[in-house]
Order: sequence, then C-alpha cells, then structure tokens
Amino acid sequence: MMDRDTWLEIFHTVLSNPLRTGLTGLSIALGIFILVVMQGLGAGLETGVKQTFGDDAANLMEVETGNAQLAFRGRKPNRRIELHNADEQAMRSQMDSVPAWSRLVYRWGSTVRYGNEQGSYGLRGVDPDQREIGQVNVTAGRFVSDRDIAQRRKVAVIGGQVLADLFPRGTKPEQAVGSLVQVRGIQFAVVGTFNQSGSRWENRSVYVPFSTAQQLFSNSDVVSRVAIGTGEASIDDTRETTTSLTGWLKDRLVVHPDDAEGVWVDNRNEQAEMYRQIFGGIRLFVWFVGMMTLLAGAMGVANIMTIVVRERNKEIGVRKALGATSGSIVAQIVQEAVFLMLISGCIGLLAGTWLLQGIAPFVEHEFFSNPRVDFRSALLALGVLIFVGVISAIGPALRAVSIRPVEALRDE
Amino acid sequence: MIELNSIRKAYQTGSQSLIVLKGIDCTIEEGELVAIMGSSGSGKSTLLNVLGLLDDFDEGSYVLNGQNMDGLSEKAAARYRSDFLGFVFQSFNLISYKTALENVALPLYYQSVPRKERQARAMAFLTKVGLADWAEHLPNQMSGGQKQRVAIARALIANPSVILADEPTGALDSVTSDEVMALLKEINSEGITIVVVTHENEIANQCDRIIRLKDGRIEGANA
Ligand SMILES: Nc1ncnc2c1ncn2[C@@H]1O[C@H](COP(=O)(O)OP(=O)(O)OP(=O)(O)O)[C@@H](O)[C@H]1O
Ligand SMILES: [Mg+2]
Repeated sequence: MMDRDTWLEIFHTVLSNPLRTGLTGLSIALGIFILVVMQGLGAGLETGVKQTFGDDAANLMEVETGNAQLAFRGRKPNRRIELHNADEQAMRSQMDSVPAWSRLVYRWGSTVRYGNEQGSYGLRGVDPDQREIGQVNVTAGRFVSDRDIAQRRKVAVIGGQVLADLFPRGTKPEQAVGSLVQVRGIQFAVVGTFNQSGSRWENRSVYVPFSTAQQLFSNSDVVSRVAIGTGEASIDDTRETTTSLTGWLKDRLVVHPDDAEGVWVDNRNEQAEMYRQIFGGIRLFVWFVGMMTLLAGAMGVANIMTIVVRERNKEIGVRKALGATSGSIVAQIVQEAVFLMLISGCIGLLAGTWLLQGIAPFVEHEFFSNPRVDFRSALLALGVLIFVGVISAIGPALRAVSIRPVEALRDE
Repeated sequence: MIELNSIRKAYQTGSQSLIVLKGIDCTIEEGELVAIMGSSGSGKSTLLNVLGLLDDFDEGSYVLNGQNMDGLSEKAAARYRSDFLGFVFQSFNLISYKTALENVALPLYYQSVPRKERQARAMAFLTKVGLADWAEHLPNQMSGGQKQRVAIARALIANPSVILADEPTGALDSVTSDEVMALLKEINSEGITIVVVTHENEIANQCDRIIRLKDGRIEGANA
C-alpha cells in the first residue's frame, strides 16, 4: 500500500538526519555518476574507433600484396609482389565455397566532376558482393551488378558526401540517379547513391564496376585487393582458412614462407574479436568500478537503515502492538532503502548524462566521438540500484522483525 | 470474554529462571472494568502483556472471546491484537513525527482501510475524546493528559472488544488522571471490556473489580 502515509514515513527517515542521508546519497550518486560517465566515454571511444576504421562487416578476410623482404627461390629481396587476374581466379577456384567475394582496385584522389562542380574522391572498382561485404547502405538506385561487370559498363554509385559536394543544395538521392558525372575525365552514369552513417571516409568514395575500373584506370590486370566474406564461419575456421590461404598464396606468388610483407591475408574476424575483447574489457572495468562505488553506497544505506531501526526500536514495537505484521515492517524498511537509492541514483544518472551531453560537442576526435549514455545501461543501472537497495535493507529489516513488542514497550 | 487457567510464566536470565506468574486463574466478563494492582515487580505488566498477546506464557490456557490463544504464531497474534485488542501505555507511545490525527489513524493503516476513511474515523474518535481542535498537532505540542487521550482514541479506533491499559495515569497529575479515568469509564459504559493496571487506589476504586497480584499469584478479589 503506497499511500500518503507510506511516503510520509519515507520522508521522515530520509530527512531525520539530513547530513547522514546526504553523505550516503552523495556516495550513491557518485557511483552512478562515475558509472554513467565512464560508460559514456567508453561508448565514445568505441564509436570513434569504429568510424575511423570503417564499419565494414567484421566477417571478412582481405588479401593484399606488398614488397617481399626475403630472397626466395632465386628471387631478389625487396621486390614488388602483384596479384594478377589469373592468380585471383586460381585462388578462387582452389577455395571451398565462399559466401561473398569482391575484387578491388583503388584510385585515391580521383577527380569527379558534375556540371561546374568537382572534387577529389576515392575511386573503388568492386564486384557486386562488395555491397554485402562493406555493408554499403544504398539510399537510392542500385549497386554495381553482375551485368555491369560483364559489360564493363561506365556506371557509378556515389557516396553521400560526393552528392552533397557536387550536386545543387537539397538534391535528393533519387534525383541524382540518372545524372552523368566525369570520373577521371571519363563519363559515367550515376546508377545509385549510398550513405554510411558515422563513417567519414566511405561517404567520400565512388563505386564503379571492377572490370570497368581495371580496364580504364589501371594499366595492367592487377587486383589491388580481394575481399572475401566469411559468412557464418567460426573464428577458428577463419583462422584456419587464413593460414592455408596464406600458404597457398606464398607458394603461388613465390614468397618466402617467413616473409611477412610480400602477401598477407588480413582476417578482420580476428580484429573484430580483438576490439570486442578490448571494449568488453573496458565495459567490464567500468561496471566493476561503478559497482564498487555502489557497494560502498549500499553499505551506507544499510548503515542508515540499521541506525533508523535502532532509533525506532520502541516505535516499531508500538506499531506491532497496533497490528503491524512483520511483512509490513519489512516492506517499510525496504521501501525506504530503495527510495534513498533510487533518488540518489537518479541524481547521479542525470548529472552524468548532463555532463556527457555538455562535453560531447567539444571532444570530437579521430578515435573519440559522440559519448553518450545508452538507454539500456541506464535502465540496467536503475535495476542494479533497486536490487542493491533491497539487499542493503535485508539486514536492518530482519533486525526490525525480530523486535518483540513487549521489549520495545518496556518503560525504562 | 477473558478466561485464564493456571497461567505460568518464567523469565530466563542467563542460567537462572525467574518465575513471575505462578498459576493465574481468573475470568473477566464482557463489559467489566477491572483493575490489576500489586507491588512493583509483582508481575502486573507481565500479566497484561500475556493478556495482550504481546508476550507468550509457559503453561496454562488462555481463552479470548471464545478462542484458544495457546501457541499462537506471530502472525496470528498480530491478527488477534488488531481485531480484538486496544492498548494504552503509561508513556503514551505516540509516534513523534505524526500528528494526533495520524497517530489515531495508524491501526487502520494496518487493516488496509483506505486513507479517506481512516482520516474520517480518526477525526470522529478525536472528537469523542475532546481533541478535535488538536488533530493537526504533533505529540510534543500537547500535554500529558492530551497525549493519553490521543492514545485512548488510537486504542478505540479499530473497534476492540478489550482495552488493556498499563498504568495509563502513571505519568499524569491527579486532575488529568481523573479526566482520563472518566474517559475510560465512559468507554466502558458503551460495552467495551477494560483492564487497567494501576498503583493508585483512587483509580482502582472506580473500577468494578480489583485483582491483586502478590508474588505471582492472585491474592484475593472483591467486588
Ligand atoms: N524480559 C524480562 N526478562 C527478565 N525479567 C523480567 C523481564 N520482564 C520483567 N521481568 C521481571 O519480572 C518481574 C515482573 O515484572 P513486571 O514488569 O511484570 O512487574 P510490574 O508488576 O509491572 O512492576 P511495576 O509496578 O514496577 O511496573 C520483575 O521482577 C521483573 O524484573
Ligand atoms: Mg509494570
């Protein structure tokens, strides 16, 4: 029964010793505040890192080549290793089924022109699977298709920033589809647009068919990179594939088995796993610190309630004589403790949220962006507060229950 | 209303056992106003606490309102207390941060009576004890006599069959004592059984009957 009298009694407890209540409340508020702020900073770090390293699907492997450092089978050190179309085809045919496969050629700093506007963007020749692999969010029109590849069509899918830079203000993505743009001086038809929320670099790129890009913008049949989607494969499976694929590539491209730079397979699954562990660790740490502070607060509340019960020994005896059951006494003490926890906790929560919102605009950085309190953590924190409140009330409540009315009523 | 048969009770202090009630037999009829007297330490309060289900007893039987009170659980005792019994204490035992009205209404809170009705009934009983104007006062703003009248109103509010008062006038001067006693007699005349523990002959003499305790036994009774 939560009516006015219940509240009156809660307020009496809370206000009967303002200093004691204030100090305990402060430690709880501080606990939640630290929890919220650190959690928000952790989230900011995570967002920043994700934005900087792109939000590609994590289930992928990338094959890249570089300069071999070691002499091998009569070849000199420090030689350029290249992956040609024939190597790529052989690689594909020796692999078991792969969920997604995209060749890439890059041309950084490609001039793209629309009407009188022009700018410098990243040009990416890709296969249709790139849409899945790069989790490209197509906002209008379509992505590169198999037919584009087969027919080497001059079609382009442009990023949100390209659209905003080159097209008149307020042009909608759908309106840009069908227009003609000059890419490195050659006319392409815009068949689609995309927008990667929270990704700085991707939105400054233009996707064109791999075959078209290789023919027009590269002088050879070199593949810059191959991205292989790994679908639902487990991390162990992808590790195994990475090892065997690296071995196969080194053999085919004549690279020393110990050479780390000739050709390599970048297993993003593993990176993602590492990030997961790092951020998981940060989260765990944040919760640990917050919990410890909360624990201190909870002990404070338990202490207050113990004192309250002791001071009100006689009163509790009188209440029992007047018909209070053990249940109603326990309920009262638990309500008081939970109320104290919740009020202080909410103050900490609000202060933390307020601080994070206040600093958010000033702390934008390459590895740090948009610190915030997510709703789930806030709810979880409140849940923990209620739980801890109940726990801290158990001891004092049991003590109150054990008070026998006669003993409390004895007149000294 | 109340039937005690060979009630025995001992307090255990360390290894020693102090027998306080050594076989109490007595009957109190419905509507009686009974005084319990006896020297200090004779067991008056102990007996009253047994009657009030605030304390248990070792041997014997206690029948209240036709129901046997042996081996009652805490919960059942609380239930009977709130259904049949009202208490008045020497030191009033009002809750200091609650107004007179809220103090009187408290027993109804534990019977889950809605707040509005609690307030209305509490006001009616405060009026009955002549303190309608003091409803919003805190106990420390009232005299001893007023506080005891608030306590009596609180004892009455749940419609008890029996009121148990342990030295209700022990902390009051003779004038206010008389007022309180007059109030108890008025309540008694409405049919409520009252048991009063007292040291004072003037109080005891106003009762229908005096039970004298000596050394844990009833010494004798007169009408
Ligand atoms: N909880 C207890 N533990 C041990 N002894 C007790 C306890 N309560 C009462 N006694 C003892 O039992 C005896 C009877 O006590 P009780 O309070 O019933 O006396 P009383 O007749 O009410 O006395 P008074 O007139 O002083 O109030 C006393 O000797 C007292 O010391
Ligand atoms: Mg006594």
